[in-house]
Amino acid sequence: MIERNRASKRSGSGVQRALFLLALMGGAIAYSVPTNDIVIIVNPTVKTREISVDDLRAIFLETKTSLDDGSRVKPVLEKGGPAHAAFLKAYLGKTDFALQTYYRSLVFSGTGSMPPVLRSDGDVVAYVEKTRGAIGYVAAQSVDEGVKTIRVR
Amino acid sequence: MLHPSAKSGRDRFKGLISRLTAAALYFLIGAAAPLWAQFSLDGLPVQVHGFLSQGFAYSNDNNYLTMDTSRGSFAFTDGGLAVTSQITDRFRVGAQAYVREIGSLGHGHVTLDWALGDYRFTNWLGIRAGKVKTRLGLYNDIQDEEFLHTWALLPQSIYPTDLREVSIAHTGMDLYGDISLKEAGSLAYTVYAGMTPQDKSGGYDYGLRDQNLVARKITGSQRGADLRWTTPAPGLLVGASFLNAPIKSDGYYLPFGTPYNVKVFGDARTEFYAQYTWRNLRIESEYSRELLKVNSFAVLGPVGPPVIRTDYDRRAWYAAVAYRVSKHLELGTYHSRFFPNANRADWPGGPLPPAARHIFDQVVTARVDLAKYWDFKVEGHFINGYGDPTSFRGFYPMDNPQGFKPYTNLLILRMGVNF
Repeated sequence: MIERNRASKRSGSGVQRALFLLALMGGAIAYSVPTNDIVIIVNPTVKTREISVDDLRAIFLETKTSLDDGSRVKPVLEKGGPAHAAFLKAYLGKTDFALQTYYRSLVFSGTGSMPPVLRSDGDVVAYVEKTRGAIGYVAAQSVDEGVKTIRVR
Repeated sequence: MLHPSAKSGRDRFKGLISRLTAAALYFLIGAAAPLWAQFSLDGLPVQVHGFLSQGFAYSNDNNYLTMDTSRGSFAFTDGGLAVTSQITDRFRVGAQAYVREIGSLGHGHVTLDWALGDYRFTNWLGIRAGKVKTRLGLYNDIQDEEFLHTWALLPQSIYPTDLREVSIAHTGMDLYGDISLKEAGSLAYTVYAGMTPQDKSGGYDYGLRDQNLVARKITGSQRGADLRWTTPAPGLLVGASFLNAPIKSDGYYLPFGTPYNVKVFGDARTEFYAQYTWRNLRIESEYSRELLKVNSFAVLGPVGPPVIRTDYDRRAWYAAVAYRVSKHLELGTYHSRFFPNANRADWPGGPLPPAARHIFDQVVTARVDLAKYWDFKVEGHFINGYGDPTSFRGFYPMDNPQGFKPYTNLLILRMGVNF
């Protein structure tokens, strides 16, 4: 199950404090807050046990295709539902419309492709279980033994 | 009304056929296309995506973008079809066909928009080769896909619909990657070099014809780079692009067929851009400066007359705000400014009047998303000025034989589907 990094949230680095002030000056506070409602799952071939929020975001936005340990990863999305909404809010900071627009811009500029979009938590778990390098998100209670959960730091 | 030479009866017939085809494709895409989007071919995953848009433009007085807008024009159609396949974890191939008929631009010819192989070695290094979309500013490589934008027309100061062909893509190679800066965000870079694809159905050729020059050949090359920084401030992206794109054209003058040669060299364009998104709000701005050196001469004999050298300092910027009110409605406005030659009045044919030294465009837009794959836009343009004859940005003397009025009000309705 995902663990929130409460310690880092409490203390925060100097850079984070500076960014917070910067966001305040711009009239905006939109820092992503990880949530306990969803977990990040990967195919068991993925070696890592944890991932940073920035890396998770980069993988789902297809700017990053491998983790620091060298594992190749491929994101899978859920079509809608509470897990999808919570994931977008907590980690990507984009609305579903903005995310779809982003993927379409990759497709039509020739710079990327649309990740698989599945209908339910069960479909995502099944896909991640059988697909080498797959990474997805589901509600915590949907996880089964065939996939590995990783911590978001 | 357009000059008779600009639109023949045959062109109008072709336009009607094009519009009917568009209507049929609308139906097909809307009803059945989502089923084709992803499938497997001999074990390989294949994705097929497409889009189609149809617009209507109506203006007072001046005709705009080679359309007969002063009478209302439906000659505003484009569409594309992309196919991609992830061959291995690291290697992807794909291609896109694109067709447009916007006034006299595109002629409804299907063109290969991009076709490439993409190998990603690691996060910070990948290579794309083939016909590759040119990354320039926020939207150059996705300027045709109206459904990706709030606007029916992107700011024409930075993304002139007429000049799409000379900057949209290059046949060559890109190196690209994403470099993590840890707490300072990440940097995405692209560097590229290649040849500018030849396309005589665009605004460059049209603009030359507007000056009684008929191009036999238009050739060019592109070298450039783009660097965009996803800052650690949530939602804030800043970037810069550089493009060097010399272009050469050979042809003849009308009506006597005297050969000419135009060489645009030292064409250096620098752009800076920033985009900030917060929840449903998006604010963005781009600035571009393009320094052009143009040599032109008529070839009258073995030596020819002296070369006429003209230098331009093109400057452009826009600032835009868009807000998504609900799942179905987005509202936005932008202000766009273009100076063909840094607001200078001097011109070989005599001093330019103020309205020929700039094009300012204030725009308001409502975008309605009728469904995930279906959008409709209503957009008002309040345009001040028409630029000089070399601007190639919407206003052509050939389309406005009665002369230009300094102000143009333009209404655009545009509907698009995609899958």
